[in-house]
Amino acid sequence: MADTAQTTSGTTVPQEGGFPPFKSQTFPSQVFWLTVTFAFLFVVLWRYAGPRIQGAIAERRGKINAELAAAEQSRRGAEDALAAYEAPLIEARERARGAAEETRTKFAQEAESAKAAAEQEADTVTAKAEERIAALQAEARRHIADVAKDAVIEIVGRLTGETVSAQEAAEAVQNAVKG
Amino acid sequence: MAASPMEQFEVKPLIPIHVGGYDISFTNQALWMCVVVGAVSLFMAVALRKRSVVPTRMQSMAEMSYEFVANMINMAAGEEGLKFFPLIFTVFLFIAASNFFGLIPGSFTVTSQIAVTFTLTALVILTVIVTGFIRHGIGFFRLFAPDAPIYILLFLVPLEVISFCARPMSLSMRLFANMLAGHTMLKVMAGFVITLGGAGGVYTLLAAAPEVLIVGLTALEFLVAFLQAYVFAILSCIYLSEALHLHDNH
Repeated sequence: MADTAQTTSGTTVPQEGGFPPFKSQTFPSQVFWLTVTFAFLFVVLWRYAGPRIQGAIAERRGKINAELAAAEQSRRGAEDALAAYEAPLIEARERARGAAEETRTKFAQEAESAKAAAEQEADTVTAKAEERIAALQAEARRHIADVAKDAVIEIVGRLTGETVSAQEAAEAVQNAVKG
Repeated sequence: MAASPMEQFEVKPLIPIHVGGYDISFTNQALWMCVVVGAVSLFMAVALRKRSVVPTRMQSMAEMSYEFVANMINMAAGEEGLKFFPLIFTVFLFIAASNFFGLIPGSFTVTSQIAVTFTLTALVILTVIVTGFIRHGIGFFRLFAPDAPIYILLFLVPLEVISFCARPMSLSMRLFANMLAGHTMLKVMAGFVITLGGAGGVYTLLAAAPEVLIVGLTALEFLVAFLQAYVFAILSCIYLSEALHLHDNH
């Protein structure tokens, strides 16, 4: 079964037929070299690769967690800063509203008092004017009586040719006004 | 010139070494074991040289293999099984790398030798037995006696003993036979291509059929190469889990 056209370097290769994996004379060599190479790989993976991979994974996990925590802290800091920034703003707005309210009431009061003063002044002026009107009216009424008396004397003189005394004329006017 | 399909499994000495009556010559198989172990070690060395938080492609692959095996152990044997991580990791990478290197044309498939697969199995089974006795002392024999009425145990205990003893056989045979069969099949198909191709006439055209088949089989062999490494590793985990927990969580 085995090919005899082999040029293995002068070694005593058993070239008899048979199923190669069952040739027991090769077993010591196979087990020996397997043990050597397997042990080497085991040490490499156990002492070098395993811990390094584990370290890398742990480091990455740690870093991710740390950075998540830092991000969370930053977020909280930003929220605090926002609150700190907004607080005086709200206060200022409140104060501005208060000041505006105060000013408005003050101006309203001033306007109120000014109006009251103006009304008072207007009242006095009106009263004085009325007084004067009344005086003027009285004066006018007196003048009318005089004019009526003169007119009575004139009219009676022209109609009857008699002279009426000023006294009589005044009485007559008086009576007529009364009547 | 079509070689025998079995020729690829011939262990041939390259440097003869004899120690105390034992022939421990450095063979073509030993050479490929060194290639496999060297390649895996070199890969790890290069991949983990810098060990950055943001991994390179190779570091990412190394971490993937690590987490793959760690998850496998965690799933099969629980948190406690992680003590055996270095062993399972080495077994998995050694077998997987051997299987994949064996797919290179002209290479030697280390895991196609029963001596190799059986030695690996013996390592796992011995670890199982030693772990079992360290943890449970003589109580480890309860492994053969699950909770059951006595008349059922009469049948169950022999079955469990046979099952336990069959494990090394099945574990080593499965890997060995899969590798052997796959590679033999490829060689046989390749032989058909050469024979048909040389026959001339219509046979030359027919040579395309096994050629296409080889392509498909090679793809299948890649799957088998990974799958067998995975199966070997996960069965090792399950056996270790039994040694740790007996039948408690099954």
